[in-house]
Amino acid sequence: MKEMKERYQNRIELLQGTLDLLILQTLQWGMQHGYGISVAIRARSGEILQVDTGSLYPALHRLEKQKWIAAEWKTSDNNQRAKYYRLTARGKKQLARELSRWEQLQGAIAGVLKVE
Amino acid sequence: MSWWTRKRKEEQLEEEVRGHLEMAARERVERGVAADEAARGARREFGNVELVRETTRDIWGWNWLQDAAQDVRYGWRILGRTPVLTAVAVFSLALGIGANTAIFSLIDAVVLQMLPVHKPEELMQLKMRGTAADRPQPTFTNPIWEEVRDHQDAFAGVFAWSSFTHGQFDLARGGPVQYANGVIASGNFFAVLGVRPAAGRLFTAEDDRRGCPGVAVLSYGFWQDHFGGAASAVGSTLSLDNHNFQVIGVSAAGFYGMDVGNKFDVVIPICSQAIFTDDETWLTRRSTWWLDIAGRMKPGMSEEQLNSRLAVLSPQLLTPVVPTNWQAENQREFVKRVLVASPGGTGVSFVRSQFQQPLTILMGVVGLVLVIACANIASLMLARSAARGKEIAVRKALGASRGRLIRQLLTECVLLSSAGAALGLAFARWGSTLLVRFISTAQDQVFLDFSLNGRVLGFTAAIAVLTGVLFGVLPAFRSTRVSLTAAMKGGQAEDSERRMRFRPAKWIVASQVALSLVLLVGAGLFLRSFAKLTAVDAGFDRNNVLLVNANLKTAKVPAEQYVATYEAIEQRLKALPGVVSAGRSFTTPVSHMEWNEDVHTDDAGGPVGDAALTYYNFVSAGYFAALRMPIIEGRGFDKGDSKTGTKVAIVNETMVRRFFRNKNPIGQYFRGEDEPGNPAARIQIVGIVKDSKYDSLREETFAQAFLPITQILEGDERENFEIRTLMQPSALIPAVQEAVGGVNKEIPIEYRMLSRQVDDSLVQERLLATLSGFFGGLALLLAMIGLYGAVNYLVNQRRAEFGIRRALGAHPGAIFQLVMRDVMGILVMGIAAGVCLAAASVGVLQKLMFGLAARDTATIVAAVGVMATVAFFAGYLPARRAMRADPMAALRYE
Repeated sequence: MKEMKERYQNRIELLQGTLDLLILQTLQWGMQHGYGISVAIRARSGEILQVDTGSLYPALHRLEKQKWIAAEWKTSDNNQRAKYYRLTARGKKQLARELSRWEQLQGAIAGVLKVE
Repeated sequence: MSWWTRKRKEEQLEEEVRGHLEMAARERVERGVAADEAARGARREFGNVELVRETTRDIWGWNWLQDAAQDVRYGWRILGRTPVLTAVAVFSLALGIGANTAIFSLIDAVVLQMLPVHKPEELMQLKMRGTAADRPQPTFTNPIWEEVRDHQDAFAGVFAWSSFTHGQFDLARGGPVQYANGVIASGNFFAVLGVRPAAGRLFTAEDDRRGCPGVAVLSYGFWQDHFGGAASAVGSTLSLDNHNFQVIGVSAAGFYGMDVGNKFDVVIPICSQAIFTDDETWLTRRSTWWLDIAGRMKPGMSEEQLNSRLAVLSPQLLTPVVPTNWQAENQREFVKRVLVASPGGTGVSFVRSQFQQPLTILMGVVGLVLVIACANIASLMLARSAARGKEIAVRKALGASRGRLIRQLLTECVLLSSAGAALGLAFARWGSTLLVRFISTAQDQVFLDFSLNGRVLGFTAAIAVLTGVLFGVLPAFRSTRVSLTAAMKGGQAEDSERRMRFRPAKWIVASQVALSLVLLVGAGLFLRSFAKLTAVDAGFDRNNVLLVNANLKTAKVPAEQYVATYEAIEQRLKALPGVVSAGRSFTTPVSHMEWNEDVHTDDAGGPVGDAALTYYNFVSAGYFAALRMPIIEGRGFDKGDSKTGTKVAIVNETMVRRFFRNKNPIGQYFRGEDEPGNPAARIQIVGIVKDSKYDSLREETFAQAFLPITQILEGDERENFEIRTLMQPSALIPAVQEAVGGVNKEIPIEYRMLSRQVDDSLVQERLLATLSGFFGGLALLLAMIGLYGAVNYLVNQRRAEFGIRRALGAHPGAIFQLVMRDVMGILVMGIAAGVCLAAASVGVLQKLMFGLAARDTATIVAAVGVMATVAFFAGYLPARRAMRADPMAALRYE
C-alpha cells in the first residue's frame, strides 16, 4: 500500500507531514470544507501546490482521528451540505510544533545548500 | 467500531467526496467550461476515488477486516486446487485434534464440570479431620448427620447421601439379579440442590422420619428406560431387594446425582435403610460410617467464615454423638475433631480419583502426537510453498508487503486446521464414548454426561488456531523470503539456497524423532509395568473360577437357617458335572470388600498400630482348594470347625513373619481389638497358607487371617461361592442356577468370573498401557513418514549433483554414504535430544509404575534401539534409490 500511495503524489513530492502542516495552517483562518482547503492551498501557493485529493481526504481523516481537527456537517453558501473542519486546541498546539520544526528544517537545508 | 457506525461513516465519506466533486465542477462551469466537461475534469483532478476510499478506510483501521475476508476466500480457492494434499492434511489434523478433544472432554466431564444443579458453585462438601495435618475424611455416621441437620447454622441448607459406590438394589424377586443404581438420601436432598420434579413430587423432610414407609424417587433416565416414561409409574410399586417401595415421583432430566461417573436410578430416604436391615442399627450406630454431607453456603458468606463457624460448632455437634463403644482415649480424640468445608460444586467422584492422573498424562501424550503430526504438515507446507514461489514473487512485485503475504499463508493454514478441528469434533465424540467403555468394568459401569459445552468448544477452537499457526509459521516466513528475480526466472535456485531451504526440514524431522522417542519411552514404561503387574503371583489361581454371590437376606431366609442353606448350596455345587472344587467365603480376592482388625498376640512386644492391622476373610473348607492356595503347614478347616467349635484360624506367611518371628505359630493364639465390656475372643492358629493378594495386585501383601465361615458373627446375609471348573466358567451358569434354585427359588444370584474380576482391578494400568502404546506407535509412524519425506526431498533436490558425481566416476556407494550421512545427522540430533527430554520428564510417572523405576535405563535403551532401526530403514529406502539412479537421466532432468 505504501508504495502505491507514493506513486500518486508525483506532482510535487510532499512529505506526508508537510501536507498536514498546510492543512492545519489553512484551517487557522476559519472553518473550511475539503474542497475549500484544496482551493485555498492552491491559491496561496500561487497555483504550484495542487494538492492531490487522493492525499487530501486521507490526511483530513487522519488529522481528525488524531483529534487535531474536528468536523461537523453544515450547509454551505450554495445550500449544499458539506463537512466542515476546524482546528481544535490540541491542533493549535500541534500546528505550533510543526511550524517550529519546519523552520528548523528550512534552516538545516539552507545551511547545507549554502554556497560559500 | 460497530457495523452500524461503519456504514454511517462510509456514507458520510461518499457524501463528502460527492460534494467536493460537485463544487469543483461548479467552479469550472463558472469559469466557462461546459457542464459535462466540467464534471469530467473535476473527477480527473480528484484522482482515484476508490483509492481515497481505501486509504481513508485504512486510516480508520477497517482494512484488516476486508483483508481477512479476502484471505479466507483466496485461501479456500488455493486449498481446493490441491484436493489430495488438502484432504490428507485435514484428515491427519482431524485425527490429532480429535484425540486431544476426546481426552479433554473426558477430563472436562470427570474433573472440571460442575453438577447440573442450581448454583453449584455455592455447594460445599463437609468433611471431618482430627489434627490439622490429617487428611479430612468425608464419611459420617447417621447420628452425626442428624445432629448437624438439626443444630447447624453455618449453611443455608444441608443434605446427606449414601457414599456407597455399589449402592445397587435388586429389582427382581429371586433368580438372576436385575440391578438398579440406588442412592440413599436425606429428605431435603432435592430441595437444597434445587432439582425439580419431572413427574409426581420429590422428597420433603416429612418423608425422612424414623419408621417411614418405603418411598422412592426415580431418575428421569430410569423412568424412560424402565417405564417408558409412562405417567402410571408414579404411584406404582417397586421391589428393591425384595422390599416394596412406592414411587412418588421422578427427578428432572439431566440430574445424575452427586457422584460424577455414575448415574442413579432410584433414590430412597435415609430412614428407609431400616427396612433393609430390619432394625435401626444403621441409623443409630455411632460407629457405622456411611453418609456424605454437603450444604449450600449462605449468600455473602466466604469459605473462611464458614470454616471458622464450623470450627466453633464442631464440639457442640460431636459431643452428643460420640461412639460409646470406643476406648476412652479414642473417645476423647473424637470430640476434638473439627468439621471443615471445601468446595463441592463438582460433586464427589471415584472415577475422578482413579483416572485424573492417567487422563492428564494421556493429555500430554496426545498433545505430543499432535505436535509431531503438525511437523509433518509443516514439511508438506514447506514443499508446497516452494512450488508456489512464482505466485508469491508476482504478488510481491505487485506491492504486497511481506506481512500481508505471511498473513495470507497463515490464514490458509488456520483454514486447514479449522476444517480438521470440525471433523475432529466428530472423531472426538466417538473416541470419548470408546474411552468410557474402556474404563467401565463389570462392577463399575461408568456414565458421563458429555455435553459440547463452552470449555470443550473453546479448547478445540484454541487448538485449531494454535495448530494452524504452529505448522504454518515456518513455511510462511521461509517462502516469503523469496528473491524476486530468481523466482520469476522460474529456474532452480542455486545450490546454496537449496541447501538452506533444506535445513529447516532437518530440524523439523529431528524434533519429530526426539518427541516420538519420548513417547516410545513412556509407552515402553507403561507396557512393561502392566506386564509385570499381570505376571504378579497373586497367590491364587484366577483362571477357570466362577464366582457366585447369593443374597439370603433378600430371599427372606431366616437367619438361623443361613448356615444350613449355604452348606446345602455348596454341596449341590460340588456335585455338578465339570466342577473340580468349590468353596465359599465372605469376600473374594481383589474385590472391593474388606474386613480388618488390629490384632494382638499373647506376646506383649508384638506389632502395634498400623503394623497390627490384619485382614480377615471367612471361608469354608473347600475355599483353599477351589482357589489353589496351598496350605504350607498345619491343616485346613474341617467339619469340627463349626459354629460351636473352638475358634480357629489359618494365617498367611506374612502374618507369621510379622507376629511370630521365630516361633512356630501353630497352636499359638491371637485376638482382635478389645472393646470396653466385651473382650475379644482368643483364636487358635491351626495352619499356615501361602501369601495371596487381598485387595489389589499392587499391594504389599497384607497380614491375613482366614477364619471358618461357620464362625462368622455378622455380615453373612450374602456369601460368595468359588467354583473351579474344567470348562469355561460361564458355561456352568445354567447348572448353578438350577442348583441354587433347587434349594430356594427366591435367592438372587450374581455371577462373575474371577479372571475378569482381577482384570477389572487393573483397568487404570490397562488404559495407560494400551493408549500410550497405541499413540507411541502412531508417533513413531508419523516421525518415520516425516523422515522418509525429508530424505526423499533431499535426494530429489540433489539429483543433478549426484548425477554429476556419478558421471565423474564416483562409486554408487559414495552417493549412498552422502545421503546416509545426512540421515545419521538427523537421527543423532533427534535421539540425543529425545533421550535428554525423556530422562528429564519421566520422573512424573513414578507413582504409576509397578516394579519398575521411571528412569529405567533398559526401557530407554530399547526405545532408542527401536527408533534407530526403524529410522535407519526409513532413510535407507530413498538413499538406495539415489544410489541406483541412472546418472544420465538425472542430468537430463535438469
